[in-house]
Amino acid sequence: MSGGPAVRISIESSCEKQVQEVDFHGTETYVPPLSMSQNLTKLAQRIDFSQGSDSEEDGADGEPRDREWGKQETEEEEGTVKFQPSLWPWDSVRNNLRSALTEMCVLHDVLSVVKEKKYMALDPVSQDPNTPQVFQLISKKKSLATAAQLLLKGAEKLSKSVAENQENRRQRDFNAELLRLRSQWKLRKVGDKILGDLSYRSAGSLFPHPGTFEVIKNTDIDLDKKIPEDYCPLDVQIPSDLEGSAYIKVSIQKQAPDIGDLGTVNLFRRTQKSKAGPPWHVKLEAAQNVLLCKEIFAQLSREAVQIKAQIPHIVVKNQIISQPFPGLQLSISLCHSTGEKKSSRASPEKPKPDDHLYVLEHNLHQMMREFHKQQLSSVVMPHPASAPFGHKRLRLAGPMAYDKAEISSLQQSEGLLEKIIKQAKHIFLRSRSIQLQLNIGVEQIRVVHRDGRVVTLSHQEQELQDFLLSQMSQHQVHAVQQLAKVMGWHVLSFSNHVGLGPVESIGNASAITVASPNGEYAISVRNGPESGCKVLVQFPRSQIKELPKSDVVQDAKWSQLRGPHKEVNWSKMEGRNFVYKMELLMAALTPCP
Amino acid sequence: MEAPPVTVMPITSGTINMMEYLLQGSVLDAALESLLHRLRGLCDNMEPETFTDHELVYLLKGQQGNPFILRARRSLSHPTAPWHLRYLGQPEVGDKSRHALVRNCVDVAASHSLPDFLNEMGFRMDHEFVTSGHIFRKGAMKVVVCNVSRVLVPGNTENTERMSLSHLVELSVLAPAGQDTVSEDMRSFAEQLRPLIHLEKIDPSKQRH
Repeated sequence: MSGGPAVRISIESSCEKQVQEVDFHGTETYVPPLSMSQNLTKLAQRIDFSQGSDSEEDGADGEPRDREWGKQETEEEEGTVKFQPSLWPWDSVRNNLRSALTEMCVLHDVLSVVKEKKYMALDPVSQDPNTPQVFQLISKKKSLATAAQLLLKGAEKLSKSVAENQENRRQRDFNAELLRLRSQWKLRKVGDKILGDLSYRSAGSLFPHPGTFEVIKNTDIDLDKKIPEDYCPLDVQIPSDLEGSAYIKVSIQKQAPDIGDLGTVNLFRRTQKSKAGPPWHVKLEAAQNVLLCKEIFAQLSREAVQIKAQIPHIVVKNQIISQPFPGLQLSISLCHSTGEKKSSRASPEKPKPDDHLYVLEHNLHQMMREFHKQQLSSVVMPHPASAPFGHKRLRLAGPMAYDKAEISSLQQSEGLLEKIIKQAKHIFLRSRSIQLQLNIGVEQIRVVHRDGRVVTLSHQEQELQDFLLSQMSQHQVHAVQQLAKVMGWHVLSFSNHVGLGPVESIGNASAITVASPNGEYAISVRNGPESGCKVLVQFPRSQIKELPKSDVVQDAKWSQLRGPHKEVNWSKMEGRNFVYKMELLMAALTPCP
Repeated sequence: MEAPPVTVMPITSGTINMMEYLLQGSVLDAALESLLHRLRGLCDNMEPETFTDHELVYLLKGQQGNPFILRARRSLSHPTAPWHLRYLGQPEVGDKSRHALVRNCVDVAASHSLPDFLNEMGFRMDHEFVTSGHIFRKGAMKVVVCNVSRVLVPGNTENTERMSLSHLVELSVLAPAGQDTVSEDMRSFAEQLRPLIHLEKIDPSKQRH
């Protein structure tokens, strides 16, 4: 328990006797106390004989005197508990006392803590719940007003911060756009201006155009009105000669050029597909494309003037005209439309859709970029470092004493113009040739025949013609073979190169002999590229009128055999072409059943 | 290679006088990495090229005071590459506003018998050194960042000793005479390298003591 001075408690039982009855006079009749033997009996009943023997003797000798009772009680408390405590008459008293002591100690502690006023304070509780209603209303109103004021203040702060955010966003947009621009284009700061470079110089171009553009802030925005959808806080200013769009038009014409028409290439604007991306990106890309087209055209015109060709190239204004083959004209022109004012001609005639060769334009772009890349190759870097830039093999020309042929072989690579003329020639030959196992090269045609022969033809028309004639004659004979299969005729003999008959100057003649289904008739065809087509028909002996009589052949069955041949006047034969004619002939010679 | 455009690529024929436009500066080894990064970004997009060269300077002492100087240089990293013989004239004293040092320059590629040839001709080797570093290129401009090492035993390029703890940076262009736009381009390029390095024209004649 608490650390206070020990309290001595003396206990004595009330020696009052129990009242049995109270009669009318107020006299109380007491229950007679237990006699000694009764008492002893009662005590003995309480003894637990199964326990140890020490306290038994004490308990048995105990006299029912008050003090001794108390002493015995304390003795028994001090000693080991032998009696069952629930049978003690003092047990409940003891417990109650103990709990009373606990509560008193607690109360004492609480009071001492409260007295200190450090950890606990007592406040009076108003016991008056019946405040007047008006007073309640006023107090509620006041508290609501305070709360409302707080909320209003908060809302005002919020709206102010949102407005500030919007303003900041518009400001920060410029910087964010600038960051985006910088991630795709080269920028540098000069003074208080931001300049950029849209040329291909860092990619290896040697074109002297600087290609600088300026980045400006777009401030013509009205904050009160709604911001347009395509608003961009950043704008770029490109050099004036790179405005608009350009492309290189490459076309092949068969007719000879008309001198008066030179230099008047139609500057129509190609339909631009809508390009995705920020407006500055679209603008810069278009300007870069214009620059590249200018570079390509400058390179081509320089080569056209410098390089000597059999037929000199003509360079007029924005057009280069050259003749890869006689009678064929290749025209390369730079079409640059600024896009602002429509040209007065306004392209009256629709441009022919297949006039412009997209492939060659694409190739020009690719070759230019390849040239750029070559400029950046490490082959150009000097070792030792003080030497000038240049191809490392060319640097050996001096020490190794190369002669002109070796040097020219080192520098051998054709210019842009030569390459593009070669490509144009190839396209032209390819478009003119018939599809017949032909490998169209640039200067030659290589033919790989079905039977493995390889023939190389030059661009001369006669060669091609001769070759085709020989092919035709063979083809006709093959056609007869196919026809025979279809019509049910039997092929008796077939040869691509017959060794009989007149010798052909071009190729060889081919021949075929087919027999009718019933064997009565046979058709022989000999077809040569020079000698033309000769068709003979063999009739059965029975149909020949003048037949020499023979002693050996006497049986009638021998007249069923085929006899002599008769030539067919092929030119007078009915039919549109060879195959029809042959079909008609075969049909005529097949009798109906 | 394509037929070179006429006005831009240097033409080393005998009749055209080539001039070297030069700007020089130096940077401490500690700042070398950042300089290389910046050059990598500003110059043409190529793989970084390193080199190790051995240069010998030959003098021909004539009767007059000034000896005739020729510089013979070979690559130690590419032993089969030809030697490079260079003559550099006096810097042109033009208007002071020109931003780069301009001097006449003759470049010749030579075979490996060059040192013997020069000795036979009467030249005597004055000094030699080994340089190694990086080459960058931007169009026609060449940027060379190198460290210079002294050769301790003449003829032995293995045993070298760094002359200083800094790197020499040279910006040079080889162009025909009379093109003044070149020095403008060089100056604007040099501006972009500030404040890492200050490239300026240093007159070699004023350096001699």
